[in-house]
Amino acid sequence: MSAKQKTQETTSYKPYSWQAILEFRAMWVVLALGLVLPFVISKPLATEIMVYALFALAFNLLLGHTGIISFGHAGYLGAGAYAGAMVVYYGGVGVWVSLLAAMAGGTLVAVLIGLLAVKRKGAYFAMISLAIAQMLYFLALSPFKRWTDGEDSLKLPPLSVDFPFHIDLSDQLSLYYFVFVIVALAVLAQWRILSSPFGHALKGIRENEDRIRACGFDITRIKFLSIIYSGLFSGLAGGLLAIYLGAASITILFWMTSGIVVMQTVLGGTHTFMGPFIGTAVFLYLRNNISNYTDRWEMWVGAMFMALILLFPEGIWGTIVQKIGERRRPSAS
Amino acid sequence: MLLQTKGICKHFGGLKAVDQVDFSIEQGKLKSIIGPNGAGKTTFFNLVSGLYKPTHGQVTFQGKDVSHASMNERSQLGITKTYQITSIFPRLSVFENVRLAAQSRVSMFNSWRKAYSYSAINNRTMEILEHVGLADQQGRTASELSHGEKRYLEIGIALATEPTILLLDEPTAGMSPAETVEATHLIRKLSNELKLTIILIEHDISVVMGISDEVMVLHEGKKLAEDTPEKISANETVQNVYLGKGAEPCSR
Repeated sequence: MSAKQKTQETTSYKPYSWQAILEFRAMWVVLALGLVLPFVISKPLATEIMVYALFALAFNLLLGHTGIISFGHAGYLGAGAYAGAMVVYYGGVGVWVSLLAAMAGGTLVAVLIGLLAVKRKGAYFAMISLAIAQMLYFLALSPFKRWTDGEDSLKLPPLSVDFPFHIDLSDQLSLYYFVFVIVALAVLAQWRILSSPFGHALKGIRENEDRIRACGFDITRIKFLSIIYSGLFSGLAGGLLAIYLGAASITILFWMTSGIVVMQTVLGGTHTFMGPFIGTAVFLYLRNNISNYTDRWEMWVGAMFMALILLFPEGIWGTIVQKIGERRRPSAS
Repeated sequence: MLLQTKGICKHFGGLKAVDQVDFSIEQGKLKSIIGPNGAGKTTFFNLVSGLYKPTHGQVTFQGKDVSHASMNERSQLGITKTYQITSIFPRLSVFENVRLAAQSRVSMFNSWRKAYSYSAINNRTMEILEHVGLADQQGRTASELSHGEKRYLEIGIALATEPTILLLDEPTAGMSPAETVEATHLIRKLSNELKLTIILIEHDISVVMGISDEVMVLHEGKKLAEDTPEKISANETVQNVYLGKGAEPCSR
């Protein structure tokens, strides 16, 4: 009898931290705001935010959740964009197949980078991933020009979806909601992955790699899978980007894409789930507005980036979460 | 014999950190390794846990040669060590620190099921937190714990991997004398209640004398003596190492 009582006592655990609950709610709030976004800002900008937010979240699977710095994410995004566009251009397939091809393209590059670099740490991983992404850029630019059209982007015909119902993607609002639904599903899938035993193991690697290895986790294979997931979601973002732009363009593969995703992620907060999403929205909104006034938008965005990072050292969302935590502490203990 | 080392050596260049050490421990025993700083205690542990591979000699565990198995492979076999310098997951909760280690026995790659839906793991985590006296701290962030509590968490993480043999590297490092006494009792209790085989490293003889079944003394990488605590205390060579003639001017 007392033994039974004891087991009941021992089950009284509450595993979810306040951060996890806060992030979960924030995710739903952001997605709900996404429903009305095209009525607040221009439809193309809203679409662009969604695509790059997915890309930044995928990037942060490595940087924030696993602790791997990648400077080669343009490679995944570009591979996704080109794979998605080429199957439409040469194969005449539909949008859904194109998105599957985009995911496969991103995953393939992730396998390549993973096999070569998974055991490298810090700057070494960053450099190998950058080198491979640059290699892809130059391959697409010249040797594969026959298939990629090099500096002229690979242009797509107007697209529409017929399953499960007809969506005309040349209509800006339809395109936005099409992209939004896919991004929302991908965000939920990433949340699910991070809530899984695998996702928790990633946090363990980020927190203390030696200790998690000593606990018996196979670090190399876990990191490898993390790179694959990052490549898969980045590839999906690339496929959506090609549909949004109506083309796969060589600038997607340029190293600056890899740099900008780092800025967007850091701006939002790497140690959070929704930070990269929020960082992307702020970054693209600022860039879009500033570039309306000046061609030298990089300088102004750079200055604002520095100002924001000084104001929000943990990123915009990261710092808000931190402040909430500080406010909670006196009452909690 | 549960675990055995035969003529094990680890050389770092010209330095023989561990030199020809034969060691063995039976199931359910608590054996301590003592020696002055730099005697090779931690290096010996790292050879057993798999962080280092031996220069010569072999390690056998449950009759199998594991000399070349990696650290995570040995952990999965049941050899787990704690760290002399506290090594926890600072930004995760106390509960999650232990749960993650417990999870290592069940799932690493499942990316869909919810991590907190494994009730067996959750229950086991709470049991361990109760064993090490941290059950009421479960929701706190690990970095907020006191030094002593972190040392207990360290042991809790190790216990969660369901070790057959537990290697404790100076578990009382940095503790006050009162905390040390308490921790020593806890270690003996774990050994008795959980039928754990424990190897304990200490540089402070007094900590281990009361709780060990046997004691091995290392000095400059070599085994100096191996016996019951009583006989070790009476051993003249051991006394010389610890009270060493060179130390006299300092102790005055």
